[in-house]
Parts: sequence; structure tokens; C-alpha cells
Amino acid sequence: MELAIPAVLVLALSGALSLRFKYIGFAGALVASAMMVVNNPLLLMIFAVVLLNLASLDLMKGFLRGVDYTLVGLIFVATSYAFYSQSLAFLLTMFVVASVPTYMLVMASDREIRMEVGIKYITFMVIATILFLIGAILMVHASATSSPTLYFLGYTMLLVGLAIEVGAGPFHEWVPDVFDSADPIPISVVASIAKFVPFVVAFKVISSTQMGGDTLILLTGIVAVVSMFIGNIGALTSNKPARILAYSTVANMGYLLAALSVSFKSEFIYLAFAGVMLQLLTNSFGKIGFFVGIKEDAMPKIETYVLALSFIGIPPLMGFWGKLYILASLVYANLLWVAFFLVINSAMSVPYYVRLIRIFEDKKDFRRLAGYLVTVTAVLMLITIVPPNWIIESSRILMKYLTIGGV
Amino acid sequence: MEAAALMDLELNPGIWLALFFAPILASFPIAFIWPRRQDSFARKLPILSVFGLFISFLITLFILFRVEEGRYVYPWLPSIGINFVFVADYLSKYMGALTGFIAFTIGVYGLEYMKEDYRLGWYWFFFNLFTASMLLVVYSDNLFMLLIGWEGLGIASWGLIGHWFRDDDELSYVGVMDRKVGPLKMFWSPSTGGWRAISTIRVGDMPMFLAVAAIFALTGTLDISQIHWGELFEKIGTAGTVILFLAFLMGPFTKSAQLPFSEWLMTAMTGPTTVSALLHSATMVAAGTYLFMRISWYIKPWEIHLPGVEIVYTLVLFLGLVSSLYGASVALASRERKVLLAASTMSSLGLMFASASASYWLGEFAVIVAFWYLITHAFAKATLFLVAGHIIHETHDRFLGGDREVFSKMKLTAIVTLFATVTLAGIPPLTAYWVKSAMDEVMEKLVHDVGILPFVLLVTISAIYSAFLAKFFALNFWKGRHVHLHLHGGGVMKTAYTAMVSMLLVLLAVIYLGIDHAGEEFIHAGMAEVSFMVGILVLVAYVVGFAKPEHENAVGRVLYDRVYVMALNDYIVPKIGWAIAWIVDIFNRLLDFIAHTFIPALFEALSMSVRVVQSGSLERYTKIVVSLVLGILFVVSVAGWF
Repeated sequence: MELAIPAVLVLALSGALSLRFKYIGFAGALVASAMMVVNNPLLLMIFAVVLLNLASLDLMKGFLRGVDYTLVGLIFVATSYAFYSQSLAFLLTMFVVASVPTYMLVMASDREIRMEVGIKYITFMVIATILFLIGAILMVHASATSSPTLYFLGYTMLLVGLAIEVGAGPFHEWVPDVFDSADPIPISVVASIAKFVPFVVAFKVISSTQMGGDTLILLTGIVAVVSMFIGNIGALTSNKPARILAYSTVANMGYLLAALSVSFKSEFIYLAFAGVMLQLLTNSFGKIGFFVGIKEDAMPKIETYVLALSFIGIPPLMGFWGKLYILASLVYANLLWVAFFLVINSAMSVPYYVRLIRIFEDKKDFRRLAGYLVTVTAVLMLITIVPPNWIIESSRILMKYLTIGGV
Repeated sequence: MEAAALMDLELNPGIWLALFFAPILASFPIAFIWPRRQDSFARKLPILSVFGLFISFLITLFILFRVEEGRYVYPWLPSIGINFVFVADYLSKYMGALTGFIAFTIGVYGLEYMKEDYRLGWYWFFFNLFTASMLLVVYSDNLFMLLIGWEGLGIASWGLIGHWFRDDDELSYVGVMDRKVGPLKMFWSPSTGGWRAISTIRVGDMPMFLAVAAIFALTGTLDISQIHWGELFEKIGTAGTVILFLAFLMGPFTKSAQLPFSEWLMTAMTGPTTVSALLHSATMVAAGTYLFMRISWYIKPWEIHLPGVEIVYTLVLFLGLVSSLYGASVALASRERKVLLAASTMSSLGLMFASASASYWLGEFAVIVAFWYLITHAFAKATLFLVAGHIIHETHDRFLGGDREVFSKMKLTAIVTLFATVTLAGIPPLTAYWVKSAMDEVMEKLVHDVGILPFVLLVTISAIYSAFLAKFFALNFWKGRHVHLHLHGGGVMKTAYTAMVSMLLVLLAVIYLGIDHAGEEFIHAGMAEVSFMVGILVLVAYVVGFAKPEHENAVGRVLYDRVYVMALNDYIVPKIGWAIAWIVDIFNRLLDFIAHTFIPALFEALSMSVRVVQSGSLERYTKIVVSLVLGILFVVSVAGWF
């Protein structure tokens, strides 16, 4: 983590120089990311996500060429740092640092700046950020002063802020619009690497303060279940792949919020955390693969199947294990009703993922780089043919960094 | 003959394999070649089939005379107690030889009787499968093996009863064509007959399977002779015993056509006469009573004094007697040659059940009496069926009829019939008299435990039985209406039923000479005063029956219509079936509606309502989110306050 400052410097420099030659930005982002990578399986997997993101940016041309690499690199630096930081101030900063680059990315496209998308997105992100930051600070303060009422309020703000930030229901209104009208490649960044930090920070704040009661678990569970249902039901009648993926994101964020409710039971946090991280990885690889496909309006056939089946949760694909760990943590934490709805929702998601397969079934006209990218995401989905004990181990190690200092 | 613990013995398994597979394999040539060519060569192949039956017959004789009593175990699935276990004991030795002989003799008869048929492959395959299945039932000690044979009987009987599946020959129907009583059609085609047989039998087989499964679950073995029946019945209590035992007996009851499952047997007459003869003597219906005797032999109910067992045996006693009375009355009123004999078989089967069930009070002897009655009946009834087949063949008429012209032109046939009827009726001093006397003695002894009713019923049945046998003889050969004879050939058929009827003399010799221990007892019983009086009564009934074979009256008409028991098969059960089908159909439609219309429509509506939010207007989104956020914060603040 000592290399964080140099990494940021590298990014700044390469970002500036990329205006002359865009691949300097690419190189800078690579170097900075490499500097921040830690020998931990989870971090290595996230590194793979960022590499895929960086590579996929090459499918774009026009506005932001060069700087977009820098922005993605910055998100990774923030993500990596957030895993290991135990200071509230830094964590909240990282939350902002991981979020802001997407404001710009989301407006990028091959020809022009998509201002309307940007405004929609930024409006929601601003609300989310404010709620999240105030919520986190209130929680820490309330736990220091033993004020339950304030803690309730703080937690609610954090939860709602998180929900808006990642696009969970019923605060998901921006997701379908933005996913549909922005360029697919930046959206694949928004839907993948940018999702880690909010959850990591939320886990850290909640587990460090631990004043939660059943009411807050109930609230979290309700938001989670509502999000699952909105996502899955909304996707059922959507026909555009980008909209299907938007609702699929809403549903996935529901699964993740469900796991968040386990963070009040300290003995099972590691399992919930592992589940969340694995599900985020699944979501990242799947979204990158499919959005690249949308960008090209074509995908390689077998890879499409693998990605869709992984989203459905067919063993031994990665999506199965993520849901399994989340389910297991819910069962251990005695939140059976949430587990029940999660299973129902998993089943409900089958038709639209199948529809996604159908949409891409006979389209083969993609650029070579796009084909490679999709293949790599599919292969990564397959690495859990060996049961992913590594994610549990990583999770156990990262538990050491879960407590925020001075709280 | 004492049912002592059986030793496990060794015997070359090839003998058993040959016993069961010789008939089946021997029927393959005709079964496979017939569908391709129906020429004179193919018509010679049935001789092979009969040869297969002959091999089986020889093996049954070998087992009867040369094989020691005991169990012959050949491991199959030893880990779960399912093995090929064959038993050679008093019952199976005789029963096997009986089956072998009758099947072979009828097979020979069939060579001539069926030679013009259009479906020889089908006929011989099922005929031989029928025999093999019965032999498996006879010799199996393991209930699982027994059930294989049991099911073989079921499928073969379906095939044979519905043999003339084209339903195009009036001669193969049962009942008066186009006659209706209320909603009931009083005539049945061969295909209906086959269907009625298999469907009735399945009704009994289902509970029987469950009972066998329960026995296996409770005792861990399926070998009839090895199960500790007493302990089993003690363990499951009175209600358990009654349920288990009756569920098991549903198989024998339906197979042996006891009330109210008798109808299929009456319409089984739609099959070729050879089939009727085999089905009514040594296989199929005999399988039911034989199984009851076999398990009673090893249950030894006389050693178990449990109320559950007593209830079951009492029930079987009266069910048997009532079925027997019903069968005899229906036979008395019948106007069709084969239906009369079918009803009489039912009557005899009832007596077998009743007598065997008396073993609860009187011990093993009652089972032996029932078994001897089975044997006597089998030979006599097979003879009568073969005769009936022959005269139907010669007169082209399935209704009772024939004057003295028939007698004079078919003398041998008439004499055989006379001898068979007189012997079976129980007129002293012929074969059945001695066996029936023992049965009289058994029922008389029951007076002490059960009351006088069984004895009274038995005497009544005996008289009616004798009367309708006399009617059968009188109306076919002496006093019936005039019929046209189309005499041709028939030599093989005559030989066959003469051989069959002569077996009654062999049995008589066995009894007189005391070759079997039971013979002495029978002679002893026959010498009793009561038995002799019953014998005289039977003789009188025979004479009366012969003197006045026909008498129109209202009771007779109801009995002629078999007391409308067929309403159960042809009206009530179908109505229930249709009701079930109706309910299932409604459920089906509901399911289709829910799965194909309701749920998709519901989710489509839900999905639309989720997506209707997306109008694209940022202002609207912001309003929704901000009001949601404020609402939640408000609720949480209020909740947190308390």
C-alpha cells in the first residue's frame, strides 16, 4: 500500500501525456495497477477485471481516448487501497475516488459526449454519495456516543446511499436508462470494477460499528428482496440486451445487499463477504462479456452459453458458488426468509438469461479483440470447476482489515 | 406330508431352467414364423410347442417321484434376500405334476382344435407362457419370484382370452347378442373379455404388491417358508394383520374370481375353449387358491391364536362359501355351455377357499382336503371344458342343446361327460365323493367353533352343484333341443379328454389303495353316516336335475343374469373411472391455465409495472428517489424514537 502515492503520480503523469499518445495512458494505468496489486487471490481476480476493462476500452474511439485508461486505473487503485485501509477518512475518500471517474466515463462514446446520460447518472451518484458519506459518519459517531436512534438513521442513509450507488431497487431508476443509452464499454466498467469499493466500505463500516438490531437486518432484507424482485421481474419482459443486463444488475445487487444483512453477525461475515466478492466477480466478468457483445452486436456462441449459465447459477460455474456462499451465510445467520426469496429469484431469472443466449445465438460478426475478451471472461467463469476455496481464504485474510481504526 | 422345517438341498439348476423355459423356447418358432408365413409348414410348428409342454410335464413327474422334499436355493441378489428359491413339498409336487399333465394334454387337444385358426403364433406363445408362469408360481418359495409368474399368468390370460381380437365370430362371444338390460349390455366380445380379465386382476394385484413389499420391509425376507409369520402378525397387531393379510389376499381373490370379482371369469369364455380348460383347471384361477393353501401351509394358522388371523380366516371361510353358492346358483340358471362351466368353477374355487380357511380351527388336514378337491376338480373340469369345446366345434352353437342324436353320434363324448359329471358331483363311491366327504367332515367339525352355517351352505351347494352338472349332461346329450351336427375328425380331441377323465380313476386308485396318506382319511370320512347321507342327497339332486333340466321362473331369470354383478364391472366402476377422469381433466386444465396463461400474464403485468417507471424523465426519477429516501428516513426516525 506504500506504493499508492507513486501509483497515483504515475496515473497523473501518464494521463497528461496520453493526450499526445493514447497508449501512454494505457501503459500508465497498467503500471499503476500493477503497483497496487497484492498477492491475494481475490485482489488478483479483481486485477483481472481491471485488465479486461482496460483492454475493452480499446474497442472505443473518439472522446476521452487515453484518459479513459487513467480513469479505470484510478478506480483500481482506490479499490485495492479500500481493501486494506482501516481509516474511515481514507475509506470514504476511496469511495468518492472510485465513483467520480465513472461520471466522466459514462458520457464517453465513439462520436460525441452523451450529456443527457451523464446528467442522469451524476444526479443519482451525487445523491448516493452524500447519503453514503453522511450515513457512514453518523454510524461511527453514533456508535462512539452509543446513540441507537442516530445509528438507525445513519445506517439507513448508508444503506440507501449504497443502493442508489450500485443500482439496487427500488432506487434503480437510473440503471435501465443509463445502461441502455450509454456506450456499452464504459457501462461495462460501471457495472464491474466500480462496484467493489461501495460494498467493501459498507462492510467495514457496519462490522466496525455493530450496533445493529433486528430492525436494521429486516430493513436490509426487505430492500434486498425488493431489489431482487424488481430486477428479475423487470428483466422478464425486456427485449433489448442492455436493458436485460440492467435489470440483471438490479437483481444481482439485491443478492449482494442480502449478504450485507449478515454483517451484523460477526461470526459469519467472512462467508457473506466471500459470497459478495465472488458474486461481484461473476457480475463483473459476465457484464464485461455481454457488454462487449452488445458493443459488437455479436458474441462467440459457447462463451455466451457459459456466461448466461453462470449468471443463472449452474454449477460448477462461478455464479453458482457466489450464490451458494451468500445462501449459506444467510442460512447460518438464520435469515431463512431472505434465503428463500433468493432461491425463488434465481429460478425466475432463467427465462431472460436464456433469451439473452437466443439474442446472440446467430451473430458472429465481432472484432478479434472482442472475441478474445469474451472468451477470457468465459474461461474465468470456468475456473471454479475446482471449488473456490481461495475466495474463502482470501476473505478470512481480509477480515483482519475489516475494523476501522479509532472507532 | 407334515410341513416340517424344510432342508436346503442341492439340485442341478438346469432342471429348473428346462422346466420353466422349455415351453417358452419351444413356442418361439411358431411365434416368430407365423406372422411371416401362414402355410402348411407353419401349421406344423405347434407340435414343437406341445413338445416343450411335454418336457415340462416330464420334469414335473421327475420332481414328483425323484426329488426330495426341501428348498432349492440359487443366489441372485443375496444381499437383499432375493434368490431363486424353489420348493418341493407336498403341495408343489402334486400341483406341478397336475399342471404339467393338464397343460400337455390340453396342448395335444389344441393341436386339432386350433388347427384352422388365424393367429397360431400368438396362441401358442401365450399358451406356453401361461403354463410356464403357472409352474413358476407353483414351485416358487420366494414371493418375488412368485410374483413374476403371477404377472405372467395375468398377461398370458389377457392374450388368450382376447385371442379372437377381431370380435367377428358370434361363436366366441358370451351372452345373447344385442341383448340389453337397462344400461347393461348383456353380451361380451373377446376383446372385452380380455380387458375385463386383466383389469380385474390388476385391481387385486396392486394391494398384493404392497402387501409383499410390507412383508419384506417387516421381516427382511420373501421366502414363504422362512418368514416367521406368527411373530410378524404379533408385531403388527390385529388391525395390521387384517389389513396386511387382506391386501395380500386381494391377489388370490381376484385371480380366483371370488365375489365381487367374478365377472371376468364368466366372460373369459370368449377365449378358445382350450384356454378355458387350462384357465379353469390347473392355472390362473387355481393359482389363487393354491397360493392361499401354500401360505396357510407355512403360516400354520392353527398354531397362531391371534384375533387378527381368526378374523381373516373367518372372512375367507364365508366369502368362499357365499361365492360358491352364488357360482352354483348362476351355473344352475345358465344357458351357455361354457358359462355354466365357468360359474361352476367359481363355485368350486369358493369351496377350496372355504375348506382351506378351516385350517385355522382344524389344522393342516383342512388344507389337504382343499388341495385334493383342487386336483379332482381340475381333471374333471378340464375334461368338461374339452368336451364342451368339442361339441361347440361340432354343433357351431355355444348354447346348451342336443338331443339323443348327439348322444348316439358322439357316444364316447357323452360317456366321458357322464362320468366326469357324476364323479365331480360327489356321488358315491366315485373320486370326488371321498374328497367331498372329508370336506363335509371339516365343515361339520366347524359347528363347534363357527356354527352350523358353513355345513348347511356346503350341503346346499353340493346339491345345486350336482343338479347343474346333471343339467349340463341332460341338455347336451339327451333332452336338449335339436341341433345340427357337423361331424368331422375330432380323434385327437377325443383322445385328449379321455386321457384327462381317466385321471379321475387314477386318483380314485390313489385314494382306495392308500398310496397317499390322505387317502385313508378320505375313506374314513366317506364311511361316516353324514357323508353318506350327503352323498345320497347329491345323487337325488343329480337325478332330479337330469329329469327336469329346465324350469322357467323369476329367480332363475335373475340368476341367469348373474344377479347383475356385471353392473360393477360394466357400469359402476366405469362411472367411477369417468368421474376420476373428469376430476383429473379439470385439474389438468387448471394446471394448464395456471402454467400457460395465468402465471405468464401475471408476470408480464408485473414486469410492465416495474418498467413503466422508466419514462426517461430525470425529473420524475429524482422525485421518486428523493421521496422514497425521505419516506424511509422518516419511518426509521420514528421507529428509532421508540
